Amino acid sequence: MTLPLYYNWRNLFVRKLTTLLTVAVIAVVVAALIVLLSFGSGMKRSVGGSGHPANLLVLNAGATAESTSLIWPEDARLLVQTPGAAVGPDGQPLVSLEIVVQTDVRRLRDGSSANVAVRGVDDAALAVHDQVRIHGRIFRQGAREAMVGRAAQSLYRGLNIGDRIALGRSRSHEYEIVGVFEAAGSAFESEIWAPRTMIADSYQRRFDSSAVIRLLDPGRIDEAAAYVNGPAVRLKAASEPEYYSQLSDQSQQVVYLVLGLVIIMAAGAVFAVANTMYAAVDGRRREIAMLRTLGFSRVAIVAAFLIEAAMIATMACGLGIAASLPFSGMRRDFLSPVTHSVTGFEIVITPGICLAALVAAILVGIVGAAAPAARAARTPIVRALRRG
Amino acid sequence: MGAAGIVLRDVHKAYFKDRLEIPVLAGLNLEIAPGEFAALMGPSGSGKSTLLHLIGGLDTPTRGSVRVGDSQLESMSESALTAWRSRHVGFIFQMYHLVPVLTAAQNVELPLLLFRMASSERKRRVQTALSIVGLGDRTDHRPNQLSGGQEQRVAIARAIVTDPDVLLADEPTGDLDARTSEEILNLLNALNTEFGKTIVMVTHDPRAAGHAGRTLHLDKGVLDREEVNTRRAATASAS
Ligand SMILES: Nc1ncnc2c1ncn2[C@@H]1O[C@H](COP(=O)(O)OP(=O)(O)O)[C@@H](O)[C@H]1O
Ligand SMILES: [Mg+2]
Repeated sequence: MTLPLYYNWRNLFVRKLTTLLTVAVIAVVVAALIVLLSFGSGMKRSVGGSGHPANLLVLNAGATAESTSLIWPEDARLLVQTPGAAVGPDGQPLVSLEIVVQTDVRRLRDGSSANVAVRGVDDAALAVHDQVRIHGRIFRQGAREAMVGRAAQSLYRGLNIGDRIALGRSRSHEYEIVGVFEAAGSAFESEIWAPRTMIADSYQRRFDSSAVIRLLDPGRIDEAAAYVNGPAVRLKAASEPEYYSQLSDQSQQVVYLVLGLVIIMAAGAVFAVANTMYAAVDGRRREIAMLRTLGFSRVAIVAAFLIEAAMIATMACGLGIAASLPFSGMRRDFLSPVTHSVTGFEIVITPGICLAALVAAILVGIVGAAAPAARAARTPIVRALRRG
Repeated sequence: MGAAGIVLRDVHKAYFKDRLEIPVLAGLNLEIAPGEFAALMGPSGSGKSTLLHLIGGLDTPTRGSVRVGDSQLESMSESALTAWRSRHVGFIFQMYHLVPVLTAAQNVELPLLLFRMASSERKRRVQTALSIVGLGDRTDHRPNQLSGGQEQRVAIARAIVTDPDVLLADEPTGDLDARTSEEILNLLNALNTEFGKTIVMVTHDPRAAGHAGRTLHLDKGVLDREEVNTRRAATASAS
């Protein structure tokens, strides 16, 4: 009992310019939303997916991130007694002590500076972070050599194999880059790794930042955490996935902020749709009255205008997706407010994000058209049919 | 569907403008037999359109009863009237009121979309209605590609495509030249005589009224006199 879709479709082109402008306005919102969502999900993925469920990350009790945490050697020694710890090939419990500092690098894209995390690690790191795959070779312990994560290498200057990078308190120590590593897309790929003893020396640090303990059984992580948190050690333990998901939640704050802006834009688009649909309704008063005369119900009239708005929104969504596609596959980084270092991520526009944008666009269309459609339904038939 | 009669009893209709009551119809009585072709004349503003709207269920009387066929319109709800209109009446307006973005055939098809009907059946009925009005070859034209007379023919096809009992025409030739008017009037005449439609036609033109079997005169809210067109009545019964 509704009007045919070709009726709606053709009416969109009666006011070509208005329709096109409305499509453009919604398309801008759609494009902004898609870019934002894909940024957000890229950021989330770059951090949130990090970590192994059987890894227990240890920080000092007050710390919120590795970069601000410090663990003294005497405390670190207690960690080898953590119950349930896995044992490495050397017969020692798998505990990776790590120093996390930062260094300034230049972005390839525009030469701007970025704070990259530098992680000093022992061989145990490769056992606990077993997702790491190295191209080239690993640094030799005792040498000023480093390897860089794949994301860091692709985002920043001077991080190719064979390059030398100045590290240390006064940047007085040159490290040669001997390898590039992947880590299953995790945040480690945005870091530079070097021997822990060399980093401790270059940065004149007598303490570590964090420790990662590989457990035999991820199911016994609570028991291990209780030991670390307890009176014997008095440090703070969390499973790696838990730590990184909390970091990734914090990275989403900026996404929510921008989302607020997109919502304001969407509200503007709602008004644009309303304006367009009011013009359409007012221009078609006679036609509406005639359709009502023929026996089309108020519901059919409401539906007609909602469908026209939904058509505008769908076109806008297509245009918005097309406009945002060039962003797909782009690599960017963001500065975490918690770790004070950058994490690289890839912007990927997924079908799910496009679907979300379509829903948002249609919502904008329907909400904008609601009041005009209601006005259309209330058209007084007899009065609208009169001449003049 | 068979033709329906029209009976109005003591019909009052008033409009309110700035809380001021403007009486238009004041105790109007009217009887139109099934299959009759009646013309309705009267001064401008006398309430001819208002009366037609009441008969067609587009408006409801302030007081009094309106019966069309078996339906008592004054007691029906807005949505019941909407559904009733789609089945029982066809409207023809002075300004045609065609949908500009649709072709002639699509305009004629519109009222059929309110019925459960196979699309092939719809197409067949549209074609039939368009050939009755003599536009079988103009089906794909848009209203702006048609002359005024052709537009009115499309509007008539749209009014008859659902095979309603009653046709209500509000100055259907008001915007047409004499020759085209004559063609349209002959068409209405044929719909009345050959298809048995009950027709009420508002007109200013006595020549147009001459095509009807009876002319009713509306003045000061009531039908104050009527005349039977014997010449037309004779041709109608002879055919
Ligand atoms: N919706 C309305 N509100 C107020 N007055 C109206 C309305 N519709 C019609 N009228 C008045 O009712 C009277 C009859 O109108 P109408 O039926 O159109 O007359 P006619 O068709 O005979 O010219 C006119 O005086 C007109 O101004
Ligand atoms: Mg009138």
